Amino acid sequence: MSRLAGWLRRYGALLRAAWLQDLQYRASIVLWLLWGVTEPAIALGIWWAIAAGGPVEGYARADFARYFFALMLVNQLTIAWDSWYLDTWIREGELNFRLVRPLHPAHEAVAENIAYKARTASMILLVWLVVALAWPAVRLPFGAGRWALTAVAVLLAAALRFFISFATGLHAFWTTRATAIMELHAGISLFLSGRLAPLALLPPAVARTAGFLWFPYMLAFPVDLLTGAVHGAALLQGFVGQVVWLGVWIVAYRLAWTRGLRKYGAVGG
Amino acid sequence: MKLRVLAALWRLNVAEELQYRANFVASLLGTLLWIVTALLTLAVFFRHTTRLGDWDYWEVVVLLGVFNTLTGVIEAVLRPGIGRLAGEVKSGGLDLVLAKPVDAQGFVSFRRLDVWRFTDVVLGLTLAGYALYRLRRVPSIVQLAAFALALAAAVVVVYALWVALMSLAFWFVSVENLSVLFDAVYEGARYPVSAYPGALRFVFVYLIPVAWTTTIPASALTGRLEPAVALIAAAVAGVAFALTRLLWRTALKRYGGASG
Repeated sequence: MSRLAGWLRRYGALLRAAWLQDLQYRASIVLWLLWGVTEPAIALGIWWAIAAGGPVEGYARADFARYFFALMLVNQLTIAWDSWYLDTWIREGELNFRLVRPLHPAHEAVAENIAYKARTASMILLVWLVVALAWPAVRLPFGAGRWALTAVAVLLAAALRFFISFATGLHAFWTTRATAIMELHAGISLFLSGRLAPLALLPPAVARTAGFLWFPYMLAFPVDLLTGAVHGAALLQGFVGQVVWLGVWIVAYRLAWTRGLRKYGAVGG
Repeated sequence: MKLRVLAALWRLNVAEELQYRANFVASLLGTLLWIVTALLTLAVFFRHTTRLGDWDYWEVVVLLGVFNTLTGVIEAVLRPGIGRLAGEVKSGGLDLVLAKPVDAQGFVSFRRLDVWRFTDVVLGLTLAGYALYRLRRVPSIVQLAAFALALAAAVVVVYALWVALMSLAFWFVSVENLSVLFDAVYEGARYPVSAYPGALRFVFVYLIPVAWTTTIPASALTGRLEPAVALIAAAVAGVAFALTRLLWRTALKRYGGASG
């Protein structure tokens, strides 16, 4: 019990620090937020224009609107930027003082993650509510059970993206271009995680291939869950996929962390 | 801004960059990845339609080529130059610029070149050329001249946009990532103006008319626009440039210096 209390105290302090730090950079955060919603907004605009003549593979205009609004929210809740941080930490020696602390550096990253997302996701939610008042296309039918399941899927997706980003960022122990790997990953995930279009609109072979990888579980699955597009067996398969890939990436992170630290020479003062 | 000063800065800059040839390969690979991603994106859209805002596939590819060319200019000149302004306003590093006996706006804007990114210009023009070949279009001399003028006008307008956005730093000091705002806005230039519906059209076509910067040069190449439109584009660019001078002077009055 006292261990739990200790963790609560640590996270309390980390969260307070992260929250205050974000407060100082409110304007910056709004800019990151704007940048994050531009891509889905443009994708929605293009699909909206394409669907002018009627539904595309079963997706009518309103379905696209709901899909991309859900995507904006889920993407904001699951986004991870740790590989960029780790790259700087390792290259410039900022990792050193973090290693000396009696707390794994990942906890600081997790706390920042929570503070940032609580702030930005609530902004998106607020805008969504206001838009929904005027625009029925983006209204979601109420469903407590589905929303609860979505919350779990979003949490798993956020953890998955966190470990992918952290494990990839740790490549900075070996190479100076760790962020390039992340850029390549982002390029592939544009298609395979559903950022550009619902997976059903991709060529069937591509969509099938995506199903064997971790990409759909980062975004498309929680988004489809929120809009009510997955049911039954697909629902179970989605959660199994999330858990399995999360396990794989946690192992990848552990390997990169223990081997990388042995290799780390610590630069900087 | 004396050209002699600029030439000296750039000569040093190029000499320095030539030491890092691996950056050339990295930049080239990055651009190729971007082009492949953009073409695949279009392929996904065109699986379900034959036209985007009344443009067919290869016409939009011409536009992507223009977009990539502009990106090259942005990454090679604007981001390493004026893109650093927000950080310098915050840190007070701008003091050092203002103390120099040169035009501050010119110095801040053009002091540094990321020369390898000029490969984007070459690859962008190549892509546009290939798309024209697929369209079986050979632009006339007048159309090519109109394209060159419209592209130059687009560069000026994009520059004006950078100055306008970065000047915000003089009012809101703690926004180091102001360049992200440009990236968000510039995304709107990836598709022809006619492709945007409703609210997006208002934002990218009228409010921040960034979509025109690619649509007009691409239209000049594909023959969608009368060549004379390029003259209007040039006039708009002239006005935009004059406005940036005005804005720069107004903004600079707010700068109090921050370094110790």
